[in-house]
Order: sequence, then structure tokens, then C-alpha cells
Amino acid sequence: MRTPRSVDVEITSRCNLRCRYCYYFDNPAVDYRELPTDEWLQFFDELGQCAVLSVSLAGGEPFIRKDLPTLLQGVVRNRMRFNILSNGTLIDDEIAAFIATTDRCDHVQVSVDGSAPETHDSCRGRGSFAGAIRGIRTLQRHGVPVTVRVTIHRHNVHDLENIARLLLEDLGLASFSTNAAGYLGSCRQNAAEVLLTTRDRQMAMETLLRLSEKYDGRVSAMAGPLAEARHWRRMEEARGQEALPFPNGGRLTSCGGPGSKIAVRADGVIIPCTMVAHMELGRINQDSLVEVWQHSLALNWLRQRHSIPLTEFDFCAGCPYIPYCTGNCPGLAYTLTGQVNHPSPDVCLRRFLEEGGTII
Amino acid sequence: MRRLDKPIANPMVVLREEFDDWAVLFNPDTANAVGINPVGVTVWKLMDGQRSLEEIVAELRDRFADVPHAAVEDITAFVDDLAEQGLVGYELKGAGR
Repeated sequence: MRTPRSVDVEITSRCNLRCRYCYYFDNPAVDYRELPTDEWLQFFDELGQCAVLSVSLAGGEPFIRKDLPTLLQGVVRNRMRFNILSNGTLIDDEIAAFIATTDRCDHVQVSVDGSAPETHDSCRGRGSFAGAIRGIRTLQRHGVPVTVRVTIHRHNVHDLENIARLLLEDLGLASFSTNAAGYLGSCRQNAAEVLLTTRDRQMAMETLLRLSEKYDGRVSAMAGPLAEARHWRRMEEARGQEALPFPNGGRLTSCGGPGSKIAVRADGVIIPCTMVAHMELGRINQDSLVEVWQHSLALNWLRQRHSIPLTEFDFCAGCPYIPYCTGNCPGLAYTLTGQVNHPSPDVCLRRFLEEGGTII
Repeated sequence: MRRLDKPIANPMVVLREEFDDWAVLFNPDTANAVGINPVGVTVWKLMDGQRSLEEIVAELRDRFADVPHAAVEDITAFVDDLAEQGLVGYELKGAGR
């Protein structure tokens, strides 16, 4: 496409929390700087001219910015919709009311990692659970659509049933999504205490499949244990039947790559996606977004990733699942192997089975 | 909409054009998105409130080859559909004008 359809914008490098598995902080390739209001507004004007349809505002913690209403006005003025990724703790009535009046908010996603302070706060800090729930209720009070992301780690994997009950019954959310802590950012320093073991992962997969059925599809995932459980089951069925390769199987196709969206770091550097924050493509308000999107050598190189067969990698040698595997996230592949163009060892079905996991 | 009406493209709606000359009309207030073909894109750009439907079709005949006789009906139906979705409006004539 001529221009990106949506843009992920890290509008701040500041956050009031320091979650132990945070993918954002402690990345040696990133310069954690803040941009002034005018720089973002100028960039949003460019997005409007490029007919970008929506922005996803993240950080850091977007609600830490005092000029958030002004920034949102810039989004609205340029005929875009938006969503916000947040820890929920800084959301008050004033900002929630403002967001509601824009009529352009697809949702505010709040992170909730436990059914009670003990589990949620264990990785996110004291008081963060109460703040998140307060933030959710405030948004609901003002009619702002709310979604929740549950990040699964060593300390909350036993709490998933209660988390589902809290979110879907007590808070009345339509649904929530899940993922697992991954070896990125701050998590790398805390990996041994936070990341799921194979056994934890197995438990999470079983529990989430059961909850998804119990709550009639209201538990979702694009990555993490629930997505793995579903996809690995399909891969194993296909292998057993010696089925034809999946359309996106056998090559480094992952999520599809930068086909419709692009991202911007808090310091204004344009990157393909927040998972590969080290890949600098240009800078907002200096480099034309259209030029970067269409002609960046690095971006077009990344787009060709999908043509690389998994059979090229020693890591995949002899694997029976190659025709059904996508190689998964290049960001995780990079932090674990040092190469973007490599399958991610973290989401490898063969390795999971070798470590004692079973397909459900 | 009648032939002499002068349709106005809703200025809040985004026209997102692609390399193949097709486009998406996106209403950010409702998140409604409609795909339109290259002829639809041309019609959209001509709906400035100054041209009647009949005049728009006349321009299409100048720009494109083999525009069928039924073009006025087809274009009217297309514009009516967009109007129903809030993507197009037209100026109301005041009494006595």
C-alpha cells in the first residue's frame, strides 16, 4: 500500500511503573528521550496528509503526558481514530471524559496481570493493581471502550481462572487478550524469575483453552500460550496427516511483517515495529514518511523476510513441522540470536516438545 | 438524489488512495470504511458541491472511454448509497431561490 494504514506511536519514554518483564525499557539500542508537543503535532499533520487511518499511542505510559489532550486533538483534527495502551493507574475522570468526547477512541487497553494485588503487583509494583482497576472503572464510567491485556508470567499462571472471572464477570468486559512475558527489554534481567517454564506454559495453555471455551470465545490471543496451544495443535494435526504446507508455512512469515503499519519511538525515530526498536529507518519531521514507507532499504529488506525458507537454518534441521511453521517474531529472534532473519527459538514447537511439553 | 442536485463529499471522510487507483473512503467518526473503484474515486473528487450529477457524468464521459448510456443511473445509485452512509450530502435549496 501507498502509505501505512496505521502507526504505532510511543509518545513518551516515561512511565510511573517499572514492570519486571517490560519489553520497552533497558533496550541498549534505544535513546529514551521525550519529544515536545509540537513535534508530535507536526507529525500527526503528516499522518493526516498520508491518509493514515489510526494511531496506537503507547510508551512508556501515555497518560503520564500532561499534553495528552492536545496530542489527541491533533489526532482528531487529522481525521484519524486512536487507541491507547496503558497501565491504567494514571487515568482520572478528566482525561476519561475528554477521550469520550472525541468519539474517535477505539479502545483503551489496560494491563491487568492478577485477580488480586498479590499477583498483579508482584511484577508491576505495589498499588498498581488497585490503580489499574480504578482506571478501568473510570473509563467505563465515561463510556470509553476498555480492553484488557493479561501478560502471563511465573507468578500469575496459577491465577488465570480468577483473572478471567474478575475481568469478564466482575468488571463485565466483553473480552480480554493474553500474551506471555518474553525475553525483551527489562525482562532479560529478570528472566529466571519471571519467564514461564515449560511446565508453566503447559498449564497456561490448558487453562486458557478451557477458559476460552467456558467464556465462549471471550479470551483471545495473537501470541503467547493460548495462540501457541491453538496453532501447535493445528501444526501437529497437519504433520500427522502429512498435509500440504500451510500458505504461510515453511518460511519466515511471522506476523506478516510491516505490510500495513509502521512505528515511531519516543525519540522520534521511525522503526518497522516496536519489537525491532533497533532498526532505525529515519526520523519524523526530517524524513518523509511516504519516502521511508515506500523506499527504505532496511524496511524493504525486512519485507522480503517472508521469502526465506526455514530449511536454510541449522536450528530447523530435520524438524517435521517446517511446512507449518512461520518462524515467529523477528524481534524475539533478534534478542535471542542476534539476527532478525532467524526463527525465534522461544516459540519453537519442537523445542517445547523436547523440553517435556505436550500438545493439547 | 436527482440529476440536478449538487452532491458534496463529506469533508470529514478520508479518501485513502492505493497504487492500483482503487481507494477506501473512511469515516473516522463511525469507523465505517467503503472500497471504491477508480471511477468512484473520480466521482468522489468531483463532488465539490459545484457540479450536478449530470455534470459529473459529463466529465466522466470526457475522461473515460466507453462510458455506458446507463452511467447517470449507475452513478446516481452509487452516490445515493454513499449519502445513505453519511459520506455524501447535498446543499438544500432555500425557499424562493
